Amino acid sequence: MPGRVSDSGDSLVPFSPEVRDPIVYHLQHGLKPPISRLSISWSRGNCLRVSFFRPSSSESDTENSNKEIGGKVVEVKLSSGDEEIDDAQKRKIAYGSVSPFALLQNRKNSILALSKMSMNSASYHVEWWQQVTEYSKEINSLLGNPKAAPTSVIEDPRTVVKTVEEPTCLKAAWELMEIFYADKQSHAWLPECLVDWLADYDSLLSATEATIHSKLVDLQKELVNLQAIEDDPRYWEGISSALAVGWLDIVVKLLRLHGSYQVDQLGSRETENGLVEAVAVLVSKMPRMRPELSRRGLGECFKTKPDFMKAWEKWRGHIAKLDCSAFWLKCDHRQTREGLRNLLQIMLGNTNSLTTATCNWMELYISHFLYIRPFTMGLEGMYSLAQRCMQLRPMSNTHRLMGLILGILGENTEVVLAECSREFGPWMVAHAIELLTAGSNQAEMLLHEERYNLGGISIEELHRLVYAQVLSSHALTWQIAPIYLTSCMKQGMGLLEILLYKQPVQHNRMLLKSLEICRLYELDSISTNLMKIAGIYHWKHGRKGSGVFWLQQARDEVRLNRIAQQLFDYVGKSISDDSLKQWEGLIELLGSEAKTAGGLEFLHKYRDLKKSLQKVQDGKASDAAKQAVESLILLMKNPSTPQRFWLSLMHDSLKLLNWREHPLLNVSQTNLLLNKLQELSIARLRPDFCESNLPPQALSTVRLALATNLGRAILEER
Amino acid sequence: MDKSLITLDKGTNCSSWNYSGQRLATGSIDGTLAVFDSPELDSSAFTCTSRFKAHEVNIVKVVWVPPEFGDAVACICGDGTVSLWEEVEEDAQTVKWKLCKLFESNATQVLDLQFGISLTSLKMVTAYSDGHVKVYELLDPLELQKWQLQAEFQNVIDSVSTFEKPSCLSASISWNQQRGDSQPSTFALGFNSDLQQFNSSKVWEFDEAHQRWLPVAELALAGDKGDQVYAVAWAPNIGRPYEVVAVATPKGIAIWHLGLNPENDGRLSVEKVALLSGHEGEVWQMEWDMSGMTLATTGSDGVVRLWQSNLNGVWHEQAALET
Repeated sequence: MPGRVSDSGDSLVPFSPEVRDPIVYHLQHGLKPPISRLSISWSRGNCLRVSFFRPSSSESDTENSNKEIGGKVVEVKLSSGDEEIDDAQKRKIAYGSVSPFALLQNRKNSILALSKMSMNSASYHVEWWQQVTEYSKEINSLLGNPKAAPTSVIEDPRTVVKTVEEPTCLKAAWELMEIFYADKQSHAWLPECLVDWLADYDSLLSATEATIHSKLVDLQKELVNLQAIEDDPRYWEGISSALAVGWLDIVVKLLRLHGSYQVDQLGSRETENGLVEAVAVLVSKMPRMRPELSRRGLGECFKTKPDFMKAWEKWRGHIAKLDCSAFWLKCDHRQTREGLRNLLQIMLGNTNSLTTATCNWMELYISHFLYIRPFTMGLEGMYSLAQRCMQLRPMSNTHRLMGLILGILGENTEVVLAECSREFGPWMVAHAIELLTAGSNQAEMLLHEERYNLGGISIEELHRLVYAQVLSSHALTWQIAPIYLTSCMKQGMGLLEILLYKQPVQHNRMLLKSLEICRLYELDSISTNLMKIAGIYHWKHGRKGSGVFWLQQARDEVRLNRIAQQLFDYVGKSISDDSLKQWEGLIELLGSEAKTAGGLEFLHKYRDLKKSLQKVQDGKASDAAKQAVESLILLMKNPSTPQRFWLSLMHDSLKLLNWREHPLLNVSQTNLLLNKLQELSIARLRPDFCESNLPPQALSTVRLALATNLGRAILEER
Repeated sequence: MDKSLITLDKGTNCSSWNYSGQRLATGSIDGTLAVFDSPELDSSAFTCTSRFKAHEVNIVKVVWVPPEFGDAVACICGDGTVSLWEEVEEDAQTVKWKLCKLFESNATQVLDLQFGISLTSLKMVTAYSDGHVKVYELLDPLELQKWQLQAEFQNVIDSVSTFEKPSCLSASISWNQQRGDSQPSTFALGFNSDLQQFNSSKVWEFDEAHQRWLPVAELALAGDKGDQVYAVAWAPNIGRPYEVVAVATPKGIAIWHLGLNPENDGRLSVEKVALLSGHEGEVWQMEWDMSGMTLATTGSDGVVRLWQSNLNGVWHEQAALET
């Protein structure tokens, strides 16, 4: 949810309320007008599906192509972030940032717990710094690595600008945040950090207008064609521009391409060459207030201000001396003379020369740091300097990186957040907040304060939720959304539950993944629900076994009971072997937790009977017959056997009652069955009696069989 | 940013995605119900897997049954009948859509219906063209055939007006999708009718102790109670200390905050926090995203609009999707 806290009087940093016009997207459905109706539906995350319907009796249906098309369904992914980066790269970044983020949260919690115990907030801060810096570097490395480019063994002397990897605005923005918020150690040489930053990312600024980088790239193309480059004003312009922003290696390299270095000219242009070389040496000896040299690798480093000042004064002295030197008069080549003296002016900090040499305010700003105010000043001072530079070198439109840097310099956390969110998307905000809150108590208060307007959550949590939504909308990234959701104290779990509920469960792999996440975060009710959905899905789609399995996992007694009830329908019916097997299997499955379903005891016994009866049918094994009788008697004795099945049971067992060799049931057993039969006959008279669907003569057949058996049994027992 | 997923048959009138967004059911003017599926997870290739004649008349709305009760849809037809269709496989091979239940219409027609889960049972709220509301309950969680009428009432708060019969053009129902067991079932309902007292959206809550539905809030200010309601949408609540409900009327889209707990008189506290205008004409549909932070709406101007609250709680139109 992008937006800023506008000036409502209670915000920490007031600024004017800004209600921006809605962003207008154009959907391509490719249908011919008219469209009669629309229908919308949110899919997971921030993915919206829109159905377009065409009127059915449209007159424009003359063309064949559109004849059968009644409408289209279009999927729209909203605010998934920076357009500059493709989806695969975005996913790579998303996956890569999970572990640094999770690690940071872990450490934050443990450091917090420790500092609470020892009440030593100082050590908390120091340790916290290191963690944040480490986190920032790790995230930074995910965004591409233009620094670790291999340098070719044989360097073409005419290659001045090397593009190794296309830098991205996202990385540039992250590095800016890192410089100002995370990397506290380098604060002493903040200006030099910005010099390096511009060196890496100046090319990005040329998307809209010319920059020093684009000028140098153009110059490089020309170098091959130029005979006497020192005659060309573009050569001197390029050198002065590169010098203005501190790209000393390029300056020296270009200077050494000067025609006076050529062997055949050395004699005649000795003075000229001496001057060029003198400037080149001065350039390469420039004192820098920084711990070590950058990739632009020239200059002399000083770590402390006094050392640096001493060297700086001395260096400036050399430049001034050279500027006043009499050799200039002996230099016949006008362009060289003027070009070199302009370079001296730049190094002496001449504002006009700097302004002319730079293309936009950012470059001018950097040149000020290099040649006018080479020290760290407060952000306030940096901000006013930036404003002055903007006046001197205005840009026709604000680049998004410029918007960000102004927000940072203006010390306005809300602007920084709004810029991050609007220009770089939810990933950037969710991860950069860690840097913002690490530095300042004010930002921490602003971002961690729980707001009623946001539903009781903080801005930090809001942005994590928004980012988790983005992750949720893709099948390859939803699995990492829980990491961010569980870092949200208030509403993360609520959203995670909904997210899990929306995962399709008919794919087993998907179901197992969801259940694993439920287990990890102790979301028992959701996992129960997912298993229930899966159970019903399989049950209804002919996979009864899986259905019962998942319903059991879900401990869904209501549904399992209903299933058990359905199994009763098989009782007393002659069923095929296959369905008997399936039926048996289900009872087996249900039986593993016998207590969950009522009436299962009966079903188990009934299955035993059914099995033995089948064996009896197969052969004449009397052991099996005896077993079947036992099962039958057990069933009939058991009070849990529903009355409505009594007749079916006996009817099923007719064969036992009519056993040819000898009566299988003894007198008392036969009497028991006869009593049951009698009870049944009486019950039949009651209005609520449920008639079984046996043949009408079933009762009399059974009665006859029992009577016969009784007679034979009495005779036998005598 | 946008990609085409499905090309619809001629005459398609309405569509509805299932809970996971993997299946789309569509209804058409000749009574055909079609189901589109994506065989692969998150593939954008959808194919029609079933197409059958569900009715002799046009289907105006399709609603999926919650997945805990199977893969099933309810179709509301132009003549006001409702049919329930369920996908079953007899032997894990032949997929069949079978008719489970037909709710015939007499003099009155069903205008809208929505399913809600309370405790373990499935409830179906239907709104009729005479301003009546009927709540059905599923008796057997495995069988979508067996429904019982649990309650019938009118969308009015005072019982005096129940003698009058309005004629309603449309109705809109939205359940509070609270998944917690302890929460009572609640839904909001508004009508577009010719009798004022029926129109305004009321929040109905099920009183388990007495097994009856009670109106616990009215989502209209004193002067707006007669406004026809085009649509209501209850936002998912992932942890807010209040509920959010959107109500669309000819005056605009109102965003309401509802208290979570009843006050002394048993009513929920309500507060209208925004009135959004943007759609010219009727609002057809309103849908909240899964976090309840973004409201998507569409209407007769053919534009999809997205609404969000900024950090100060000020609601505004965040984006418009035009064609």
